[in-house]
Amino acid sequence: MDGDAAKPAAGLTGLARRVIEGWALAGGLVLLGIALMSTWSSVAGVVFAKPLSGDFELVEMGVAVAVFMFLPYCQITDANVTADIFTARAGVRTQALLKLLSAVIALGFGVLLTWRMYAGMLDYQQYVETTTILHIPIWYAYVPALISLALLIVACVISMRDLLHEFRRAASA
Amino acid sequence: MDQSLLIGLVGLAALVALIAIRVPIAYSMILVGGIGTMVLTDPRIFLAQLKNLAYSQFSIYDLSVLPMFVLMGNIATRAGLSRDLFRAANAWLGWMRGGVAMAAIAACAGFGAVCGSSLATASTMGQVALPELRRYRYSPTLATGTLAAGGVLGILIPPSVVLVVYAIVVETSIVTMFIAAFVPGVIAVLFFLLTIAIYVRVRPQSGPPGDRVPRAEFIEATIKVAPVVAIFGMVMGGIYFGFFNPTPAAAVGVFLVTVFGLLRRVVGWPELRDALLDTAKTSGMIYLILFGAQILNIFMARGGVPQAAAEMMANSGLSPIVVLVLLLLALIVLGCLMDSLSMILLTIPFFWPVISVMDFGMSPDDLKVWFGILALIVVELGLITPPVGMNVFVISALARDVPMRQTFLGVMPFFAAELVRVTVIVAFPALTLWLPKVLAG
Repeated sequence: MDGDAAKPAAGLTGLARRVIEGWALAGGLVLLGIALMSTWSSVAGVVFAKPLSGDFELVEMGVAVAVFMFLPYCQITDANVTADIFTARAGVRTQALLKLLSAVIALGFGVLLTWRMYAGMLDYQQYVETTTILHIPIWYAYVPALISLALLIVACVISMRDLLHEFRRAASA
Repeated sequence: MDQSLLIGLVGLAALVALIAIRVPIAYSMILVGGIGTMVLTDPRIFLAQLKNLAYSQFSIYDLSVLPMFVLMGNIATRAGLSRDLFRAANAWLGWMRGGVAMAAIAACAGFGAVCGSSLATASTMGQVALPELRRYRYSPTLATGTLAAGGVLGILIPPSVVLVVYAIVVETSIVTMFIAAFVPGVIAVLFFLLTIAIYVRVRPQSGPPGDRVPRAEFIEATIKVAPVVAIFGMVMGGIYFGFFNPTPAAAVGVFLVTVFGLLRRVVGWPELRDALLDTAKTSGMIYLILFGAQILNIFMARGGVPQAAAEMMANSGLSPIVVLVLLLLALIVLGCLMDSLSMILLTIPFFWPVISVMDFGMSPDDLKVWFGILALIVVELGLITPPVGMNVFVISALARDVPMRQTFLGVMPFFAAELVRVTVIVAFPALTLWLPKVLAG
């Protein structure tokens, strides 16, 4: 039974999992990069009295992008906090069913937000809005955000598949 | 009752139901908030808002301090800081009766000063201090109880994720909240040390004195904490004295702990990779809850639920202090069921309007700070109380031979100490409000 946990490492699902993890790691590196940039700006500000101009714009944009990149990984590692206490005594089948419901809600959220943010990106491309100091177009940030949301949808489908599997196994047991 | 208020209350009931059936708290808030807003207003308005709501929420500058501190804590956890802290604390305190447990508390406090998470503090310090506590034959109850309770210092001593979120929800300065938390944090450490001193006086076998450390080793251990002190000094000192904004300060902290870990050759790519992935999980989770809370608040504000709650309390004829105690008790009870961050985001939008119309004889700004510190303390109590005391779970996972019931028992004296501390901080608001005034003036 435990062998099943290792099984999804193979095939298409395995590939998707690795992509999602790699994407989150890339997001982590973006965050680390922002931290280094901000450190440099602080040091330059203190030592040369000349911080990087617009550094806070890079922080805002970089952190937002990193956070989007984290979302699919949160879904696939079941990192989103839940209150488990009321369902702790429920059977395996019920638990799988409830988790399935959560995955469906997450999927709905992923689809809705992808749709709306895609429209948002088109708006920003049409009436280009940029950051005030560095003049970076806002829609640049929407590209990695939309890729992240697409991966979130993939992550939800993977969770649903796993849970359905779990549910069937519990039902037949 | 007006109709939109009714819809708001129905929404609240639906939210509780969803959370109870284990739907992630963030998604419960998004679902209820989204549907509720569409019912109360034109759905097209909400769908148009969604085009940039998530991005504008995720790119709020004040929030960027959160992933930075999370990353700093995750790297610090792997950089061996906890071992240095414990060795030094043990050299200073270990020779006393109960001293090794006291050293664990002191080290937790030190680690809490670079890490904003309770669980991370409990688990890293647990790994370092538990073997030592066993070596000196401390009773399992005291040993595990101390570490589970000590973990709470990770949150109580700034930086603290919960404090940042509170500051953003009630629109007050993060820096002021960090400064205000300092004195109460020190009091927490002193009370915990006192708790151990009393405990080992009552049960002398539970915490025998450790060995006196030879002079050379004592000096070496003390010198080795210098980097931790330096990092804390630069990051938190920089924030307290206004040299840095919180985000750049946290970024400098990330840089310093990374360099420290690299130089000591304890952090390489595998450790960094784990730290980044852990940061991804925690930050993604935090931001999704923040996003959910935002949507839920749009709905609740339209339904007028917080205002109605405030009005009801104001007209109830209860004295301010009774209302305060009731709200704090509600937070303690909720804390037994939910994590602290979700709780702050769910309750403060309702509790703050109630508190703000009460007369506590202080300015609204002071009231925000004082109430925030009180909320922070009681919210964290949930981490060490049954049924879901996460800190206790973490320590139990490290000490598998100690029954969890025993750890919960061991935590009880510290829980009592926390109740005393809440009472003291309620009775003397100056303990919280004095330092921000001094540093701001």
